[in-house]
Amino acid sequence: MSDIVLKEVSKSFGAVSVLDKVSMHIQSGEFIVFLGPSGCGKSTLLRMIAGLEDVTEGEIHLGGRRVDQLPPNERGVAMVFQNYALYPHMTVRDNMSFGLQNVGTPKPEIIRRVDDAARMLEITQLLERKPAQLSGGQRQRVAIGRAIVRDPKAFLLDEPLSNLDAGLRVRTRLELAQLHNRIKATMIFVTHDQTEAMTLATRIVVMNNRRIEQIGTPMEIYSRPATRFVASFVGSPAMSFLPVTTVSDVGGKAAFSFAGQKPVTTSVPFVGLPNSNLTFGIRAEAAHIDPNGDIEGVADVVERLGERSLIYTRLADGSTLVAEDNGVSSVQAGEPVRIAIDGQAAMVFDEAGTAYHAAA
Amino acid sequence: MSIADSRNPALGAAGTTTTSRKLRAFDIGGLILTLITLVFAILWAFPIYWGVITSLKPESQVISKTVEFLPRTWTIEAYWEVFANTMIGRWYVNSLVTSLGVTAITLVTSALTAYALSQLRFPGRTVLWYLILASFMVPLTALIVNHFILMAQLSLINTWMGVILPQLIHPVVIIVYKNFFDSVPKEYREAAKMDSASEWRIFSRIYLPMNWGVTTALAIVTFIGAWNAFLWPFLAVSKPEMMNVAVGITQVNDAFGVHYARELAAAILAALLVAVLYLIFQRRVTQAIMLSAGVKG
Repeated sequence: MSDIVLKEVSKSFGAVSVLDKVSMHIQSGEFIVFLGPSGCGKSTLLRMIAGLEDVTEGEIHLGGRRVDQLPPNERGVAMVFQNYALYPHMTVRDNMSFGLQNVGTPKPEIIRRVDDAARMLEITQLLERKPAQLSGGQRQRVAIGRAIVRDPKAFLLDEPLSNLDAGLRVRTRLELAQLHNRIKATMIFVTHDQTEAMTLATRIVVMNNRRIEQIGTPMEIYSRPATRFVASFVGSPAMSFLPVTTVSDVGGKAAFSFAGQKPVTTSVPFVGLPNSNLTFGIRAEAAHIDPNGDIEGVADVVERLGERSLIYTRLADGSTLVAEDNGVSSVQAGEPVRIAIDGQAAMVFDEAGTAYHAAA
Repeated sequence: MSIADSRNPALGAAGTTTTSRKLRAFDIGGLILTLITLVFAILWAFPIYWGVITSLKPESQVISKTVEFLPRTWTIEAYWEVFANTMIGRWYVNSLVTSLGVTAITLVTSALTAYALSQLRFPGRTVLWYLILASFMVPLTALIVNHFILMAQLSLINTWMGVILPQLIHPVVIIVYKNFFDSVPKEYREAAKMDSASEWRIFSRIYLPMNWGVTTALAIVTFIGAWNAFLWPFLAVSKPEMMNVAVGITQVNDAFGVHYARELAAAILAALLVAVLYLIFQRRVTQAIMLSAGVKG
């Protein structure tokens, strides 16, 4: 078993705190993605699990054993670095063998494991090349291969796709998902790219400002974000946030008015809602251009994405609501538009950013 | 139209003349520069040329009333004399052993010191680093009496070790190595740590091979420096059979009186190895000199 348990892990560099009491339980075989903006502490957390950074406070357990005081090589984890860190003077085979040589693995065993990993990653024909003779994608595979041969309890991947061009990134993402399915190892993947997080993760850990904002499956994170930060960080285009003017009770459900529009009835229970400083949140796919819609505004910008169009609509109070229309939308910038909102998909946030959803 | 037509050829012709005049002016400037460079090159090379042709003259023709740019009689007699009557073979061996010894020990110790200073965290690290930087400011000649007394106390006068030990102090080699180790991205070290590599393995399998170019460059300059060293080997050795080439050739004078052809033959033999090395490794030597001057090539 290779569960990873973090108990109130904190990290500070001198007086500067970079992680504050982070706790989580990662199940064996999960693909966990640490998602967050630059500087949120996600890479530091990964490096702490790897043993490359000391833990200031708290405990890290791996496979039932406390590891936070152990050196990196005794933790049974392998890491893939953002720039791959392939030793430039060694061939691919030597790069992949180095770790096994260091622990005195017999030579035939090293050759067998390197060959197996190379076959799995389809890099057999590259084994005698030097890293400089490889493309970015090939280097990436070698870096993963170097991790695989050590047969670690967990793979730690620090933004491994960020140095690849867009097309290759999508392909490698897919291969990584397939690899995870095949070897069923615990993987922790750090990224600031929400698409990578959504497509790869069994669970996403959204981090912001030294803390965990939410842990959940990609769809939970997307549909039921715990905080306004998560709602704004995940999803493209970003969720529209509209300051609520009045809240009313419609048969136990809350109806919200904003920007002088007709109230929108939602599935959010009225009971338990704070009655001031609320923000209404709605994603573009739940707000459609509709001549019979209740919301009135003026199209500010029209983005045509091919399969759909995004209409950035300015409301009376100056706030912006992003609505969807079909790909061949006839809406032109500057025109008045009407929008229909699907209240079932709406959510609200209080002043502190906590989200209120429809009852699950 | 007609005005323009009649003007155009004239303009064109004028244009061409200006260009060719400019070209010619440039050529003349270039020629003058080349000539000046050539004059300096001749001035610089002349003593070497004079040494070579003198060593190829019979001793009787060395001193003559006229200036002779080529020997009247070509001979390698002077070289035979040096080989037959001096211990130049032995001196060569001494020079090779001491220079290789100095180079090997300096490089190994400096690379290890630099690695520790660059990559390890231990108490006193900063103090050690400043001490090394400070030692850079002390000329070796200022310590020569201390070195002599120390070597005498260790009974190392007239031994290879006695010649080698005081020449091992090369802070600049440590400084250059440290700069290079510092600039290795830390991910390599971290990857090696994850790969269970010991500090020795990280040093010998990652850091040293990644800086192989620096090592060869530093090896060449250290070797040339040790080969050309005169003052310390001159003090540390009094027995002719323990002398290195640089010290030995001064003995040619003592043994034969002033015999220019032989002296120059000995000097040319002494310089030969370094000259050949320099020709082979010219680029590396230039790189090394730039490195030790703080310029990264």
